[in-house]
Order: sequence, then structure tokens, then C-alpha cells
Amino acid sequence: MIMKKDLSINFLGVHCENPFFLSSSPVCNNAEMISKAFDAGWAGIFYKTVGINGMDECSPRFDITTKEDTPWIGFKNMEQISEWSLEQNVEEIKKLKKNYPNKVIGVSIMGSNEEEWITLAKAITEAGADMLELNFSCPQMTSHAMGSDVGQNPELVRKYTKAVVDHTHLPVVAKMTPNISKMEDPAIAAVQGGAHGISAINTIKSVSKIDLDHLTGLPVVNGKSAISGYSGNAVKPIALRFITQLAQCEQLKTVQLSGIGGIETWQDALEFILLGCRNVQVTTSVMQYGYRIVEDMINGLSHFMDERGVDNLEDMVGLAVNNIIPAEELDRSYKIIPAIHLEKCIGCGRCYVSCYDGAHQAIAWNSETRKPEILIDHCVGCHLCLNVCPVFDCITPGEVIFKDGRDNNRNGEDIVKQLVYQ
Amino acid sequence: MVQKLVVEYEPELIEGFDFRRAMEEASRCLLCEDPPCSKGCPSGTDPGKFIRSIRFRNVNGAAETIRTSNILGASCSLICPQERLCEQECSRCGIDRPIQIGKLQQFAMEYERKLNKTYLSKKDTYAGKRVACIGAGPASLSCAAELAKQGVQVTIFDEHPKPGGMLRYAIPPYRLPDAVIDQDIHQLEKLGVKFRLNDKVTTKELGKMKEEYDNIFVGIGMWQSKMLTIPGADLPGVVTAIEFLSRAREAHGKMPSLGNVVIVGGGDVAMDCAATCKMLGAASIYDIFIETIEGAPAVQKEKEYVFKLGVPLISEFKPVEFIGQSRVERVKFEHMSNGSILEIAADTVILAVGQTMQSEAASWRDSGDIFSGGDMVNGGDTVVRAVKEGKEAAVKMMESFTRR
Repeated sequence: MIMKKDLSINFLGVHCENPFFLSSSPVCNNAEMISKAFDAGWAGIFYKTVGINGMDECSPRFDITTKEDTPWIGFKNMEQISEWSLEQNVEEIKKLKKNYPNKVIGVSIMGSNEEEWITLAKAITEAGADMLELNFSCPQMTSHAMGSDVGQNPELVRKYTKAVVDHTHLPVVAKMTPNISKMEDPAIAAVQGGAHGISAINTIKSVSKIDLDHLTGLPVVNGKSAISGYSGNAVKPIALRFITQLAQCEQLKTVQLSGIGGIETWQDALEFILLGCRNVQVTTSVMQYGYRIVEDMINGLSHFMDERGVDNLEDMVGLAVNNIIPAEELDRSYKIIPAIHLEKCIGCGRCYVSCYDGAHQAIAWNSETRKPEILIDHCVGCHLCLNVCPVFDCITPGEVIFKDGRDNNRNGEDIVKQLVYQ
Repeated sequence: MVQKLVVEYEPELIEGFDFRRAMEEASRCLLCEDPPCSKGCPSGTDPGKFIRSIRFRNVNGAAETIRTSNILGASCSLICPQERLCEQECSRCGIDRPIQIGKLQQFAMEYERKLNKTYLSKKDTYAGKRVACIGAGPASLSCAAELAKQGVQVTIFDEHPKPGGMLRYAIPPYRLPDAVIDQDIHQLEKLGVKFRLNDKVTTKELGKMKEEYDNIFVGIGMWQSKMLTIPGADLPGVVTAIEFLSRAREAHGKMPSLGNVVIVGGGDVAMDCAATCKMLGAASIYDIFIETIEGAPAVQKEKEYVFKLGVPLISEFKPVEFIGQSRVERVKFEHMSNGSILEIAADTVILAVGQTMQSEAASWRDSGDIFSGGDMVNGGDTVVRAVKEGKEAAVKMMESFTRR
């Protein structure tokens, strides 16, 4: 009875029953756990990065960031690639492909030189994988010939991509590191090397916090810590920024995108799709909540498409790309004065505090009645008040005032309608 | 600011969570493995799943989960004794206090109503089959919905002018407004269920219906109020709880003056009577029962509510005589063990001492060739249990269709 629309989409020539994939990480480390994920509804995976040899890992290896009482805002991890050997992983991949012929088995690989990349490409292709993802982006490798150190170097990216493409018939996705100012450069290099798709972002180099007793970062490993990758919902805005730039880059128009970074809900996933991704990948929220979160991704996206009358997921890919424009091109002809609905106001004064200390002293506070009042002459329409108000719909966008002698040929009501705050 | 104690008798709606509050509460949910709350719901409404849907911003999915398993999802969100069902099982009790599951269910059901959504659809598995459900209370409604979803053509018969049974005529509107009952009923109508109201089925008619329909479900509840066999029980001014509550509801709370009220009974119905009397402006109200305060069967939340409204709850006294000339004037009580005597002036006495079946119901139930469920089978329990029994009867009925 539970509603499910056709969410299928073609990604790099491979039919995917929906766009939801697990990203290469601890959540897809062996056939047994991946089987459970497939049964829960994930369309495919990028198998945890396979190398020539297994890794030597530290303990503990994770930390979380918290704000007020919300844990897992961000997540720091120190795990590298698969702890298993190539041979062991090939066996697992074969098993998966046999048991789940209709699911998509992408496999992430990482070598430390051209020969290793070729060995891995051949072995995984023979194992029966559906696509390859090249890990140019893990920020916590113990070798500088691997991971994000490679991904920051377009020349190496081009070389290794070409080495792989020349030794496989499978579609190849290059996974980018966000630890760089211009992701387009390595992405273009990957395309020149023959990559068919780009996935982004891998984790962001971080020190999550300092332990005040041990005087080192977290997690503490025998009195020390190290810089390593940060992920989770906190990084989503950064991921969306990189995806936007990749989607807008002329030289990358021919490749397909897979979005990664802080996806927890169907809405998060859809945001990546609207920015041009045909595929999305998830890890951190699965580590926190389990594979079952895909149920609400599938169901929530189905309901959304049903409500909007969209029959093919493909029709929504990239719809938002052209609406993100350079700051200098934004319309700066007006300000929107917030409207405070006093019948909803509970008299906490948070809008007043934030406006005075963080904005333009544009709210007057009556300490007798405990009610705020907007001072229109001071208000610049920044909407800080609206973002701190704890009451649903108490402060909403109000009157639109055009700056002296300026107009944009639209009426105020239309402008306000565009704004939806939750 | 002061939190207000709701005292409006007939509110249009009961205020629920907005999106932010719902998300805040859903974020408190621990998202347990094999959620114990879901096991605590007789009808399988699956709070573990619908709260997770809210948490992951899929309110449609939450409402869909509720609707799929509980055709009275909107009503149950308001009147189910969650504190002794799903919320009692909540793992969060091990940390502080349970998730407010009823409030989250209300939030999802309000979303359905505001957006006029339809989550249930009809299959034609048993198209052509015809079933009559007698009684338009929770058990019948639930049975009808399950059958209708599989294409059975269902007609519900009820002697009252509106469907809902005890939901409509016994539960007061400050707990369950008409609009919420209508929302649930509307789902049945969308499934094509037909209602024949103001139509009291007799034993003779039932015989005829057995030939006309492929099967019959009877869920006619327990509408006969138990009486007390003590002197003065037939004095004017002594009324039964169901009679009082349904009269108040039909009159939209505009009743002749109640004067001084004495309520006898310590169950949920007694608490409903006490709060109703308060809202209708009774001069004084005493609720007196034979149990101890903690032993009285009403859920704690309702006892506390009545206490907060300022109604004294007097425990461990049993009524021994209603005293008066042409109508009741005083009630005499005796302590259950220590011999104390209590006499209270009363213009109205409301007896909330339990319900029983109407006489022919038992013979219908036991006749063997029909299905039945709800209060008349379980002896009087929650709405959500009636929903479960209605569903189970529907499943058995459909199995019998398959076998034939």
C-alpha cells in the first residue's frame, strides 16, 4: 500500500532503480552488510575503496561535533580504504553481483602508482563490477602517493584516470577532494584522462576539537591525533557549492555528476539532483541511523514527484543550476522589511538581541509589554530576526521597499512569494 | 507567559504541533532497532516508522503509514491512552520521558487534513463481494476499511444519525472534535463504503441480511449502562454517563443547569464526565469512586487533568443510597473499610460504573455465522483495540472468500 513511484534513472549508461547509492566507506565494506543495504532499498553502492593491500588502522578513529543538544552535526573519521586484500574483495564483489544482478555495484579503487591502478582496474572489471570510482580524494591516507594528495594534482589525476580507462570497458567516475580551491581543475583533468563521471565531495580535512586534558585533537590515539576527513550534514553547503561549480563548468558539460556530502533526507538528495546530479551517495547518516533511512528517501521523493506531477526523475536534474549566479549579478534594488505577527509573539526578545548585536539596531524593544517593533528606517532587510525567532511563522517577509529611484519591474508580492522560511 | 488549561467544551480543533515542534519532538526519538513503541500499539500503527518519517522530513510518509494501519488514525491520535500503550514502551523512558507519540501522530494527521491528501487506494481482489457491518463504531469502521481496500462493497448500518459510535456520542468534543471524526469517516467514504444511518437492525432483519450479503460483521458495542441496585437509583436526576455525555454533545454543551454534581466512578468515562461538567459550569463537582486514587482505572493523565480543573477526586467510598423526594437531593456514601459516612448534596448524579451489552447482542455474537469485534467481544476496551479486532475480522472474512 505504501506509495512508490518509478524513481529509476540512467547513470553512465547503467540503469539504476533509484538515485540512492551508498558511498565508498565503512557502510559498504563486505557482501553481507551490502546485502542488507540492497534489501532495504538502496539501488547501488560504491564498494569501500579497494587497494592492493589491506590497511593498518588506529583506534579509536571517529569523533562527532555537536551544537547544543544536537549530536552528529559533523563527523570526523580516520579510516582509510578497505582493510582487506584485493583478492578477498574480489570474492565479495563476485558474490554480490551473483546474488543481486539488478543492483548496481560500483567499486572504488585506489593505487599508489600507475601499475597498481591498472592491476586494480583489471581485477575489479573481471570481478563483474558495473562501474569504477577512482578515489583521488581520501584525506587521511598514510601514504602521500595516495588519496587527496593525488587529487590536488591534475597531472596525476589525468595520468591515473587514463591508465584505468585504458584497461577497463566499465564507466569510470573520478571522486574529487574538496581540499582544493578550484575543483574544476582536477575534474577537467579526469575528463581528459577519459573519466565518464565526476563524484564529489570526499571529506574535508579537519581537526574536530581539542581535548582539554590531553592537549591534542580528537579522537585521541595514544596521546596524539591527526588531521582527517570531516563529513555529515554540516558539510552539505560546501558540497552543494562544489557541485554547482562543476555543473556550471563548460568543459565538464559532457560528464555526469554524482553528489555526495551530508545527505540525510529525500530533500537533501533532491537538492543535489536539482544542481545537476543524476546519482547521490550517502555514508555518514547511514553510520548514525542505518540503511533504513533509504525508505523515507524513496517514499518522500515519490510523494514529492506525485505532488508536483513529475513522472521522470530525470526531468528534475539540474533545474536549479542556472539560478545560482555570481554575487555581482544579484538584484540589489530593494529590501524586504520583516513583518512581526504580534499575536504569535511570545515575548522572548531574541529578535531584538540579534538585531541589536548582530545587525542594524532596527528593532525597538518594549520592556513593559515585552514586544518588539521594526524600525523601518533602520531596517536593511537582512532577515536575521526571522532566522532567530523560535516561533513558527511569527516573523515573515513583509513589505518590499525599492531603493531610491530603482525598480526591477516586479511587484513586491511576487518577490515575497519567492521566500519560504521554515 | 502562563500555559493555559483548555476549558472550551467544543473547540473546532485541538491545537497540535507546528512543523518545528514536531521536528523537535521527532528528534528526541531514539530511532530504536525493532521499536518497542510499535509493538505497544494493538492496531500496529507503527509509531517507530512514522516518527522516523517525520524525522527525515517525509510527513507524507508518516501520514501514509498511520493511515495504512489505522483507519481511525486521526481520532486515535487524540484519544488513545498512549501513556499505557506505545509511550509506556518507549526506550526514551530510560533517559527521561517518552516521546509524545500521540502529538506526532496528530501532526501527521493534520497534514493529511490540511492538504486534503488520500493515501489509501482500492484494489479489486474481492470485487463483487458484499458485506454488511452493523454498528458504525471503531470495530465496524476498521473492518469496513480493510474490506473496502480489497474491493469488497461494504455497507455500514447504525441506529444513530452520525457514524462514529462511542467516538461521536460518548467521548466529549474537547478531547475529540467532530472535524477529526469526520476526517476519519471521510477516508472510508473515499474507499466507497456506504453508510445507512438512523437504521436500527433487528434480529429479524439480520436474518434477512445474512442471505443478502456474503458476510456480516457485528460491532454494536456496549451501549447499555450498568446501574446501581441501591435505594433511590431511579430518582430523577440520576443519569448514566453515556446518556449524559451524548446529550451534552448533541446539545453542543448547552444544557439545563446541572447544579451540584456527584459523579460515581473512577474510570476514563467518569473523568470525561467530570471535565465536561466543569466546562458546562456545574456549581460543584465531586467525583467519588470505590478504588484508591492510584487504583482507579482512568489513565493518570486524565486524572491529573480533572484534578487541575479543580474537581475533587474522593477515593474508597461506595454509594449506598440516593436520597430525595421528587428528585435526587443528596447521595450517601460509605467508606470501603473504616466505616466513615459521607453525604453530599447533589442535583445531578452521573453513574459512570461501566457498560454492558444490549440483550440481543450476545445472541448475535454467539450465533456462529457472523463475525464480531470491539467492546461487545472484548468486554469494553480501547478504540485502538477495536480497530485491531475489526481488522482481524476482515482478514478472516477475506480468507473465507478465498476458500469458497
